[in-house]
Amino acid sequence: MALKERPKPFLLPEYCKGCGRCIDACAKDCITAGHQINPLTGLVPVELDLTNCNACGLCMDACPEPYGLRPAHEGPIKKFELEDPAKLYGVKPSDAPEPQDVPSVVLPLPRTEPLVIKGTYASAIGAILAGCRHVYGYPITPSTEGAELMAKFLPKLDGTFLQAVSEVAAVNMMYGTAGAGLPTMTFTSSPGFSLMLEGVSYMIGSELPGVFVDVMRGGPGLGNIAPEQSDIKLACHGLGHGNTQALVLAPSTPQEMLDLTILAFELSFKYRNPVVILSDGYLGQMTGKVQLPETLLKPGVPKWAVYGDALHRKNLISSIFLTETDLEAHNVHLNAKYEAMKVEVRSESFRCEDADVILIACNTPARTAKGAVQELRHQGIKAGLFRPITLWPFPIEALKTALQGTERLVVVEASAGQLENEVRLALSKAGVRDYPEIESVRRMGGILPQQDEILAQVLGKKEVLA
Amino acid sequence: MSKASVIYDKFDRHSHAQGLKGHATHYCPGCGHGLAHKFLAEAIDELGVQDRTVAISPVGCSVFLYYYFDVGNSQAAHGRASVVALGHKFANPDSVVVSYQGDGDLASIGLAETIATAQLGAPITVIFINNAIYGMTGGQMAPTTLMGQTATTCPTGRSQYNGQPMKMAEIIAGLDGPIYVERVALFDAKQRIKAKKAIRKALRNQVEGRGYSFIEVLAECPTHLKMSPEETEIWVKDFMEPVYPLGVKKDVAMEPWFHRNPPSFDGEKILQLAGASYAHPVRHCDGFPTHLAPADISLKLAGSGGDGAQTAAMLIARSGINEGFDATHIPSYGPESRGGTSYADVHVAEEEVLNPGSPDPQILIAFNAPSLAKFGPTVRKGGTVIYDCSVVSDVPLLDPSIKVFPVPFTGIATDLGKAVVKNIVALGALQAATGIFPKETFLDAIRVALKDKCALIPLNEEAFAWGIKSVEALRS
Repeated sequence: MALKERPKPFLLPEYCKGCGRCIDACAKDCITAGHQINPLTGLVPVELDLTNCNACGLCMDACPEPYGLRPAHEGPIKKFELEDPAKLYGVKPSDAPEPQDVPSVVLPLPRTEPLVIKGTYASAIGAILAGCRHVYGYPITPSTEGAELMAKFLPKLDGTFLQAVSEVAAVNMMYGTAGAGLPTMTFTSSPGFSLMLEGVSYMIGSELPGVFVDVMRGGPGLGNIAPEQSDIKLACHGLGHGNTQALVLAPSTPQEMLDLTILAFELSFKYRNPVVILSDGYLGQMTGKVQLPETLLKPGVPKWAVYGDALHRKNLISSIFLTETDLEAHNVHLNAKYEAMKVEVRSESFRCEDADVILIACNTPARTAKGAVQELRHQGIKAGLFRPITLWPFPIEALKTALQGTERLVVVEASAGQLENEVRLALSKAGVRDYPEIESVRRMGGILPQQDEILAQVLGKKEVLA
Repeated sequence: MSKASVIYDKFDRHSHAQGLKGHATHYCPGCGHGLAHKFLAEAIDELGVQDRTVAISPVGCSVFLYYYFDVGNSQAAHGRASVVALGHKFANPDSVVVSYQGDGDLASIGLAETIATAQLGAPITVIFINNAIYGMTGGQMAPTTLMGQTATTCPTGRSQYNGQPMKMAEIIAGLDGPIYVERVALFDAKQRIKAKKAIRKALRNQVEGRGYSFIEVLAECPTHLKMSPEETEIWVKDFMEPVYPLGVKKDVAMEPWFHRNPPSFDGEKILQLAGASYAHPVRHCDGFPTHLAPADISLKLAGSGGDGAQTAAMLIARSGINEGFDATHIPSYGPESRGGTSYADVHVAEEEVLNPGSPDPQILIAFNAPSLAKFGPTVRKGGTVIYDCSVVSDVPLLDPSIKVFPVPFTGIATDLGKAVVKNIVALGALQAATGIFPKETFLDAIRVALKDKCALIPLNEEAFAWGIKSVEALRS
């Protein structure tokens, strides 16, 4: 017959660190400080003499170690049965199932007339169509309209918009929602993006998706709120500490703000990595024609997520790899992923085939440069525009093709050479040594290069062509 | 008391469970963390929420919380655990999210996140381990270090120059967001029972959707206090407790309120929110207004904030797009929310707008004298300037090829009873002065823009008509 009684404590000495917190807890003085060093641990475990033990359990409540003082038995005692103590006092194996994907669903979207909306709105609507229902942000000009639109729309779709206490908090809310496996994004501008970089590094380290729309403004410091291509370096080479890279997309029209935002979510989940959309102050504010796609996405829950349900209980979101070899292996894995991202390169070559002069530009300056190309063509100069749409990875193969037969190369940008540096690095890494001297049209401080400045640069050196 | 099933059977994440690490924590002998872990694990077990639980590991000694808890685990950056917890909670409102943080994490680097999350009040559970010292980095001063207590970064003892200890339970209890705040300790059996109960209650509050709970646990760090575990218990009792009094700091009876519907993915609803239209706009143009420019018309509208320059600009862009052209509008504001400068650059192009900026517009609409003075001289030869002659008296010297239309935007709008329609008067004047689009194109765009304020449509139509009449009167 089985006896029901309160369990007395049981201790495997190797799991005792000898802290002695249990000694005081015992009113019957059953536990004493030990005297013998345990050979397995090098520590001195307590000693138990349970003669007077009344099984009050307080010693077990006092023990900080989960496998320290434990009940000697739970439930009925089977008398006169010898059992392997490790089995008897052992543990229930975890019943957590192997995590599974809950698949996403593509839903049809009725065809409508084009919208006439500003770039940030286009991006916000793109995010909603990409299945994003969790947006966290902190107001910063000139990106705030994106957050405002989300604050208006998401509650009506039973989504979540939270205005965070800072950009630091916003990116970490994204970390949480991304960790749960759901699409999430933020709108920010240069100083705000700087603040988010810690979180971006954590997201990359923990392999979490998320979309950052950085409506770039003039810097450094507070700078101003006018457009500058000020964060190309940051997005392509400075995403926080450690070995970090992310796909960087550079739209140049409100339509692309929508299209590339949808693409950003797709790539972000494909690679389990953040994606940065570098917009500029003009593009964020610019109203234009935007055609919506014919589908929208209802996201599932990927198998790696920590969703907070039975199916995903086994998972861990973490960027910690304490063992050096583990961390090195993780970095090798990340590098392989960065390498794989190179298939995602995108660019537009406009009249580059026969061009003697190639302009390179992205974002709003690319539109101006396109205007300049047309004007130069009117004037009989064979000009072309190469527009990288992915700034990282840089579309180097397409650039190499565009450069064939080119005599001049002019980088047009609203920064002190950040785009030019990307071009140079890409050419150098691709082993391209033979290319024309790079000329530049640069404005800063919130001023974009104008068409006449591009024409002046190109035409001023017309004699070189002759 | 017994090892809760929420604790892993083997700590595989602890150095790959090598040797004893599979069953021993990484904590020093006598550390309070192990007890707090056990009480939390028991609470999760008792409430039956293991599958739904997401534990947020902080940075600090408890950074490896995920070694031990057989629940969903997420490891946060230093100080950010509470907002990571919010990200999880809002992603899955049914999840039970525990933010487990130490004093450096919660009360120093993460203070802004801590306070803001508490005030938000969403049902999460925060377990705050206060041991008055930085453990993991090796005994530096914590925000909770006692006055006079030595640490490696206050070697002669915390003085006024190091500031005062942060009493987090009281601070959190002083906020409106939280519903339950208690400070507990671990130094004797009685306190441990209270601690266990408090943690269970804090978790239950979340499971029932009642609100945010915060449990501060006074814990022992024998290693960095350089005492035996027993001495540390006494120290916590004798020195910490007087500074950090134990007990319930706040306990509000709150009915369950946190309920969130699953997000909607209804395409029709999204289109409606976005203002998308199925109706094909009627086109009134025969072709691109090439009498103004062959392929791209550049306009600038300039005034003060509140003049309606941006709305008028948007209506021009919308009109262009409705006619099948490409159009862009870029606003430019001064830093003031109202009353500062407000300029808009608009382009309408037959195929594609290439240069969205208008540094040298063909058409300028100026709502005040500074705008006219600033941009009048930038207008291209043969261009058009329309200005509000109700408020502008001095007209700058303009190129003689420029057609100038003084129209009393403000005067007309005021006569109509609403000064805000002066921008619509300006649009009427633009239409009559340039013929950029037919009247109906503008009127359609105005009607669509006012579809939610139908009562204002007749007034705006009248304003538009008066703008046209004013220009016609100038011509006759």
